[in-house]
Amino acid sequence: MSIREKARQLFAEGVDGVLAFKRTDGVCIPHLFTKTEVEEICKDVPADQRYPVAGIVRRIFLSGLAGKIGVVARGCDERALIELGKQGQIDFDLLSIIGVACSEEQARYCECSKPYPSRIDVGSRFEGISVSEKVRAVESMEGDERLAYWLAQFASCLKCMGCRNICPVCYCVECSLEDENLVRRGSVPPDWPVFHLLRAVDMASRCIDCGLCEESCPSGIPLRTLYKKATEIVKELFDYEPGADMTQRSPLGTIGDQSELPGGAFEA
Amino acid sequence: MTNSIGELSDADVILLTGSNTSEQHPVIAGKILDAVRKGAKLLIFDPRIIHLTSFAHMHLRQKPGTDIVWINALMKVIIDEDLLDREFVNSRTEGFEELSRSLENYSLERAAEICGIEASDLREAARIFAMADKASIVYCMGITQHVFGTRNVLALANLALLTGNVGRLSTGVNPLRGQNNVQGACDVGALPNVLTGYQKVDDDVARGNFESAYGKKLPSKPGLTLIEIMNACLEGKIKFLYIMGENPMITEPDLKHVEEALSAVDFLVVQDIFLTETARLAHVVLPGSCWAEKDGTFTNTERRVQRIRKAIDPPGDARLDWQIICDIAKAFGSDYFEYSSAEEIFDEIAKLTPSYSGMSYQRLSTQGLQWPCPSVDHPGTVYLHETGFARGKGLFSVVEYDPESQKLEEHYPFVLMTGRVGFQYHSGTMSRRSRALAREVPEAYVEISPQDAARLGISDRDKVKVVSPNGELTVRAFVTERVRPGEIFIPFHFSEAPANILINSRELDPQSKITSMKFCPARIEKA
Amino acid sequence: MSDKNLDFSYTTVPTICPYCGTGCGMLLEVIGGKISGVLPMKGHPVSDGCLCLKGWTAHEFVSSPDRLARALVGKDGDFKEVGYTEAVALVADAMRETVENHGPDSCAFVASARCTNEENYLMSKLARFAVGTNNIDHCARL
Repeated sequence: MSIREKARQLFAEGVDGVLAFKRTDGVCIPHLFTKTEVEEICKDVPADQRYPVAGIVRRIFLSGLAGKIGVVARGCDERALIELGKQGQIDFDLLSIIGVACSEEQARYCECSKPYPSRIDVGSRFEGISVSEKVRAVESMEGDERLAYWLAQFASCLKCMGCRNICPVCYCVECSLEDENLVRRGSVPPDWPVFHLLRAVDMASRCIDCGLCEESCPSGIPLRTLYKKATEIVKELFDYEPGADMTQRSPLGTIGDQSELPGGAFEA
Repeated sequence: MTNSIGELSDADVILLTGSNTSEQHPVIAGKILDAVRKGAKLLIFDPRIIHLTSFAHMHLRQKPGTDIVWINALMKVIIDEDLLDREFVNSRTEGFEELSRSLENYSLERAAEICGIEASDLREAARIFAMADKASIVYCMGITQHVFGTRNVLALANLALLTGNVGRLSTGVNPLRGQNNVQGACDVGALPNVLTGYQKVDDDVARGNFESAYGKKLPSKPGLTLIEIMNACLEGKIKFLYIMGENPMITEPDLKHVEEALSAVDFLVVQDIFLTETARLAHVVLPGSCWAEKDGTFTNTERRVQRIRKAIDPPGDARLDWQIICDIAKAFGSDYFEYSSAEEIFDEIAKLTPSYSGMSYQRLSTQGLQWPCPSVDHPGTVYLHETGFARGKGLFSVVEYDPESQKLEEHYPFVLMTGRVGFQYHSGTMSRRSRALAREVPEAYVEISPQDAARLGISDRDKVKVVSPNGELTVRAFVTERVRPGEIFIPFHFSEAPANILINSRELDPQSKITSMKFCPARIEKA
Repeated sequence: MSDKNLDFSYTTVPTICPYCGTGCGMLLEVIGGKISGVLPMKGHPVSDGCLCLKGWTAHEFVSSPDRLARALVGKDGDFKEVGYTEAVALVADAMRETVENHGPDSCAFVASARCTNEENYLMSKLARFAVGTNNIDHCARL
């Protein structure tokens, strides 16, 4: 099936719009298509021009759309939508997903463990990469070396806030990165490591590994590697994967008598 | 820029001077950081500590106003140690003998004494620069905003020519333009001495092309620069002044003088998107539109002409700025101002401008084209001077340091430098209306060294009075190691504490007509 | 679309950042005819998906309540709103009178590094062709 065919099918089933891509002047841009615009939908999902689809869906709903929309989603996009749904940011029932499987090349570039959504409408399934070489490379450093590595990376931060702004699962109205008690205003680089560790902790139970943060970093800080490791730790401790399904609850959001850390149970 | 932004990532050496790139051009700073990660050596010549200095191979802190000295000293080392690119110098340049003779006075010892950089550091930096295969010079206002700014730039160009770092990838002399379309405004002739594409108004052939296109004689005598316009207003020579989208009441040096000048004209028109400090002095204010409301092109610092596209309508009665100009021209009784779109205007520019003549909106698309782009099948020019210079051979200029330029006045023991911060922009009309930016740096401050602060009994966040021969203002002190004893720094964005009130506009660079904004005598008092 | 969403739309418009001379590519997000945000343009030759904080927040001043929406006429900071056409006529008349009484060189024009090439070109054309003076500049040096 093609994206356009699937979109036509969804319109027939009554969606009000389909969020997909439009090719214009050599770039692909996100656009909410109406029924009459189906022929303008980009046939493929461009590998090198990925956008935070789930974040856009959240903003569309936030601005007052009451209808149903279809959305072209890769594996990571679907995980982000699930995560936003679980956290009450979007009504997952109002979405119909046009599932796109990523190519092997894309999956290897991302070191993505699940480069496909739960149902594939377009593309063929490549199983994914279970071990991130980039994470292993950092882990293989000695403690001091690893600390020095990250501190040097953090020191190059230009405080563009791109990592937060592009993140499809970042939505807080009051952001801890803007809390003056935690991060001083106005300095470049922002206070480190606190700035980056605050975000890493936030990502540990939320990051769906789309890698858009790293792609938007003008300093080239390997944020994806950092957050992959953070989510690995949460997976090991709590057997929790952000965006995996609608039923699992975030352990960091629900510390209570149900949650156990290796050192013993936490009392509620 | 002679070269392109992306090429910086592949340089072996980057000499950065007078640019706080991380704050003023962050995405370009990213390319520099990329080069450093790949093993490039970063040499920073800057009096202040900036973000990039912690990634620099060497940070060489010259005394403000002594740039010609350290640049000449580097060249003298390079010639004395025979590290110059002889083949390039012989085949592509002229004036080497004169240059070489003029450098006799710039021994390392003398240079070190004047510019305050250790002789051994100057020697090491010279060697690193000269031995690089691909060395790129990047500079900004710290070099140009001096009464000898043009000579500073010529000295840097000498250094690039001497080492053959011109006309190849990842080399060149690369000024970073501060405003989105300052390059384009110059390219299309918003200057008193040139028509589009830097064709001189007093060149009969070039002007003739315009005259036949317009069907009318054009004036051949070069006009007045901005600072000269201000002076002419005060002298009563300019009676009608039309300002579009600029706020000289914050950005020009010597604000008191600017206010007097703007108040002196019979009729002042200001076209802007906000009621700026300048617009408040106007007889008529016209509501213009912002970039999100119009189609058009901007030309970036690497000569890339890029399209902007209309996303929304301007508010209320506001009009597209080009439409306002056309409406005024037509009401004035002028023909040839009938355009139905920005694209039509661009096509006229392309027709009259050799370096733009191969461009069209369709070709610009979303990737843009870098000038010169002389024909419709020309791919644009990534870097200049590959085979030659406009004049044939590259000419070395003899550039001498003038000790007078570094003189402080009695009762004003500090050197004041003005500049920008990363989270604000120019006169603040846009950036201070952004919540996210305003929260980062909401107010003006003066950077002062801990030693000076202690000596004057000033604590961090204290209110202090900064006084220059030209004026005074009150700001909070920011006690920081970023500046050395004897030097202070104030960002100029803030209308309630406008740093430009301190700057004089009497002495100008003879060519660029800029005043010294990086070397102003000042003193600090507790407020 | 169903009736309740007739006016509803989301699109993105490729453009260039209005701040510094780097010229980063960006997409303006437009929801229901209003700019709601900025996304970095992927695949742009200069910025390839990156922006700085100024770029990321470039849309914030666009909808400021301080935006000028009417032409103003006044003196000494006292302004009254006038119609656009009237304001244009006032400017053209003043320009004509100045040229007639004092010559073209008694007029001066300041173009803008913030405006487009097309607009700067027209300002130069207004000064040189319509009025007949080379007194045109902008803040290239600042």
